[in-house]
Amino acid sequence: MYTMKWVKHDLQHYVQEKEYIDTIIIPLLPFQLSNESNLEKDALQNELLSVFNRELEKELTGRVLLAPDYHYLASADKQVELERLDTWVNDIQTQPFPFVFFITSDAEWKKIEQKLGGNLLWLPFIATESMKPSEVQSAVRTQVKEVTGLIRSYWKG
Amino acid sequence: MSEDKQPVSRRQFLNYTLTGVGGFMAAGIMISPLRMAIDPVLQQGEGESDFTNVQLAEGDITNEPQRVDWEVEQVDGWYESTVSKTAWVYKDDNGDIVALSPICTHLGCVVSWEGSEDHPERFYCPCHDGLYYKDGVNVEGTPPTAPLPVYEHKIENGMLFLGKSQPRGEA
Repeated sequence: MYTMKWVKHDLQHYVQEKEYIDTIIIPLLPFQLSNESNLEKDALQNELLSVFNRELEKELTGRVLLAPDYHYLASADKQVELERLDTWVNDIQTQPFPFVFFITSDAEWKKIEQKLGGNLLWLPFIATESMKPSEVQSAVRTQVKEVTGLIRSYWKG
Repeated sequence: MSEDKQPVSRRQFLNYTLTGVGGFMAAGIMISPLRMAIDPVLQQGEGESDFTNVQLAEGDITNEPQRVDWEVEQVDGWYESTVSKTAWVYKDDNGDIVALSPICTHLGCVVSWEGSEDHPERFYCPCHDGLYYKDGVNVEGTPPTAPLPVYEHKIENGMLFLGKSQPRGEA
């Protein structure tokens, strides 16, 4: 099974095939326990984004490296997070990664999109608890297809 | 209390109990290594049930490759997970069912039938423009160096079952 994540086995592969892997995807995941009325909703968004990332990474394994999740406090000052995120991007850029994508369902990043050191893919997931796992799967798959197309359009330049 | 009514002496009674308890303990210790030793024998039958019903009726398979997605439980050591799988299924010119793995033999992206408008009648890999003919053989001069793997398949009660994918040699 091919994957390209930040794990030992995949990175051996990465080092060998570096010339082909020019795209990195960094998931931005907010976390909080203080706002109880939003807990379930926030956690569900996180879960869906993780499922989505797994599927997306599988489609594009040969050219895309999936970075570890970037977690931050939902209430944190985005300016501070922006600086910390820049240190991630600077570190990543020591390798040739011409294409840097951030994936999130947190709308706050959308407002400061231009300041990010990469392209932001903002995905609001529409799913409710009443959805069956198979329905969620197919919804996610449709979205993966759309985003794959979008990433490919960046590759074409 | 006469000797006839109590034929078991204190010494005998203790001997019996200790032997009994000791036996249970020994059995308890032995059972795990024994189970492990014969485990492969017990598991052999499961190799047969590797086929999964992918919810596609035989009648719905056409000459045009279509994508089917399904899920399997995968046990990797102690870690159990659900893995989603994909195949491109069609009937070839002889009417035989072909189920191709979509995993590009170059670096593992997922290929699509006619995934690029520039390349009709080909499987296309979006990552590095790899191409395959309809039978899954890689097109010379594109990055992949081997044909797409083929899934084992069978038809039961009119439904398509897919098993493991088998890699094929270089073209």
